[in-house]
Parts: sequence; C-alpha cells; structure tokens
Amino acid sequence: MTPLQLLFLGVFGLAAIWFGWRVFRTKSMVRSALSLLAAMVALGGMFLALDAEFLGVLQIMMMAGEMSIMAFFMMMYMMDPGGMSSMNMTHQQRPAAAVGIGAGVLVLALALLTPWPPAQALAPSATQQNHDLGIELMTRSMMIFETAGTSILVAMIAAVATALAYPQQPD
Amino acid sequence: MENPLTLLVVLLLFGGGVYALAVLEYWSVAGQLAWGRPARLVLHLLLKEEIRPRQSDTVLYETAPVLFLAAAALAAAVLPWSADAPLLGLATGALFVNAAFAYVMVAMLMGGWAVNGVYAMLGGWRFLGQLIAYSMPLVMALTATVMRAESMLPARIVTSQLELWNIVYQPIGFGLFYLAALALAFLPPFDFPVAAGELAGGVWAEFTGARLLLFRLGRLLLIMTLALTVTVFFLGGWQGPWLPGFAWTFLKTLLVAASFFGVGRYLPRLRYDQMLEWSWKYATPAALVNILWVGILLLL
Repeated sequence: MTPLQLLFLGVFGLAAIWFGWRVFRTKSMVRSALSLLAAMVALGGMFLALDAEFLGVLQIMMMAGEMSIMAFFMMMYMMDPGGMSSMNMTHQQRPAAAVGIGAGVLVLALALLTPWPPAQALAPSATQQNHDLGIELMTRSMMIFETAGTSILVAMIAAVATALAYPQQPD
Repeated sequence: MENPLTLLVVLLLFGGGVYALAVLEYWSVAGQLAWGRPARLVLHLLLKEEIRPRQSDTVLYETAPVLFLAAAALAAAVLPWSADAPLLGLATGALFVNAAFAYVMVAMLMGGWAVNGVYAMLGGWRFLGQLIAYSMPLVMALTATVMRAESMLPARIVTSQLELWNIVYQPIGFGLFYLAALALAFLPPFDFPVAAGELAGGVWAEFTGARLLLFRLGRLLLIMTLALTVTVFFLGGWQGPWLPGFAWTFLKTLLVAASFFGVGRYLPRLRYDQMLEWSWKYATPAALVNILWVGILLLL
C-alpha cells in the first residue's frame, strides 16, 4: 500500500466515524439518515482506497437508495420526525450503551485476534476483480445469495399482502 | 485521455451542448428558439437577491445544489466520446454511472427537506417514490448491455455494438432506458418533483439566485449526460462514417436530448399513481424479459 492510499484510507475512516457519531447527535430523522449515508459513502471511499473498485462503487450506489428510503419510513412512523419538539426518542440508555460497548469490544477482538492471511502485495486489476466476484457469486456463495434473495422476496410479498385492503366479504 | 486537444474539444462540445439544451428547453415550453436567453438568465440569477427561507437546514441547503451538479458531472466523466477519450476509464463504468445518478435523487431529497417548506418537501419525497419506479428498469436495461459486452467498461460496450447497435439488438431495453431517463431527469411527462403549476416549483420553490442557477445548470448537465448514456449504451457511441468519433457522439447525444424535450412538449404530465403502477406492473417485468432475450441471443 502506498502512503497516499494509506492517507486516503485514514481520511475516509475518520470521516466515517465522524458521520457515524453525527447520526446520534441530531433529533431530526432525515439529518440522521443522511449522516448515516455520508458514513456509508466514506466506507465506500475506503474500499476505493484499498483498490476494491467494484465493492466501493457498489457500496456508494446501494446506500443512496437504501438510506433515503429508510429516512422516508422513519418520517412516516416517528412521532417527531423533524425533531422540532425536542422529544426524547432514546430509551433504555444504559443497557443500550452496555450492549454497544460489548459489541465494539467483540468486533475489535475478532479483528485483532483472527490469524489473517498475509496481504497480497498487489491487488488484482479491477476487471479481474469483477470477473472473480462473478465466479464467486455463481459457485461457492451461490446458495447463500439465492437463499437470502428468496427470503427477501418472500418477505416483500408477505408485506404487500398484509398491506392490501380487501373488500368486505358478505357473511 | 491521451490528447489534450481532444480533451479541450470534448469539453467545449459538452459545454456547447448544455447551452443548446437550455435553448431547446425553452423551446419545449414556449415554442420559440431564443439563442441569447440562457446567457441573460445566468446573469439575472447571479445578480438576483438571495432569499433564504427561515429555519432552513444550513448544511443540507448548501450541499443539495452542489451535490446535484456534481452527480451529473461525475456520471459524464466515465462515458467515452471517442475510442481514446473517456476522461476516466473505469472497469466498473456502467455501475459507476448508476451510482452517480442515484445521488441526483439524494440531492433532490436534501433540497426538499432543507428549505423547511411544504411544497419543497412533498417534491423531494415524490422524487424518492419516482426513484422506486424508474431505478429498476434503468439498472436492468444497463445490465443487459453489460451482458452483451461481457464488460462494464463503457468503451467496451461501444465496441460490442460494432455489428449491430443495441437499439436494434435489444429494443425493449432501449425503450425502458429512454423512459427511465426521462423520469430520472424529471422531464415531462414525469416532472412530479418540481411540478410547475401544481407544487409551485416543488423542490426548487424556495431556492433563489446562484443556488437555483446551480440546480438548473445541473439539470441541463444531467439531461446531456443521460443523452450521452443513451448514445454510448444503445446507439453505438462514436461509431459512424466520415466524421471523427467525438463528432458522431456529439450529434447523437444532441439528437437524443432534443427528442427528450420533444416528448415533453407533446405529452401531458402523467398521474403519479399511474406512473408507479405501470412501472412496477409492466416496466420491471419487461426489463426481466429483456435480460432473458439478450441471454438467449448470446447463447444462440
């Protein structure tokens, strides 16, 4: 990794942490969702800095739609989506903090204690990466993705079915 | 980009094209070609008083117009004008174009929310709904062109059309992409987020002066970029006899953009629920059929 890559990796990493923190510093749901989007874009930037072009672009593309739709749903269901009346929307703060710290320690331990394989000196070319990812998706990881995809589809159909208003049946 | 002269020519053509689009846009509304009007309008908007809505969200208010312009410009950067002239040769070009277009929606949503106005907010959320209608046909039509080229490199997609342009090879995909492009640039008949006469300007209602100028310039840039995308992915890009490559790209792009405005001039605005219904019930399945069609052709 060149020093320039390392610099960009650091900058995007710090940006991701900063925006992640901003998510919880606002009472407006839309600001919160857009901060999360910025954090996700910074993660995409980290992928790009690591020469993982496809993953970076994919991350940046997918999150735009996902975070916006999430903002929309929060607008619909929250009692104070604009954060105008300073309503407190947090609850069970202590257990939440404990779980958060615990999960953080766990992730850190996993990252530090896993015997990672040695890093490759040179990342494969972007075209090669696209090819390899395609082969991976169509062979070893196929079952996982197909199962996940089918589950999501079933959930979507179920959600639509429950939301439909059926005409009243005569007794 | 090897040759700085080609780069200069391409940039000049792109800028000139955007100016021509501004003239065409006025033609599509008023029916006359006023060549000096865009320049006068730029001066007017730059000198106009800036009116800020009360209690607007400063960060989002300032970010939205810039992000809108940047998204359109970034998408244009990966599209090739001739065999040796993409500004940025990305191996994931086709995906990158989609990623950039997604942020058009984010910018509109931001702008709609930031100004603290009802019409603007409605316009912003409407565009999010519109995204759900146009994004699937858009992405799946692009996917089919990528399948044929076996590469996401836009230049490779152009060379895959040497024998037969994609508009003939996959006409369903072309039709879907064309309509989705109209919806993405919120041109009539899909101009719901700004909806003049209904939402009083929608997302743009509260923006004035230079920021409104950025939005309107960004929209023209977006239309130009979308027309360029249609040219590269479906109309054989730079291919054509006699003229140099970039001239063909320019002519095709301008023709596609003019047709965008032509459609808007003769069609009324759709009903919002009809657009969503038709998109999900007919356009998305048609996009899947298109992928199947291209797959069968590739295997034959």
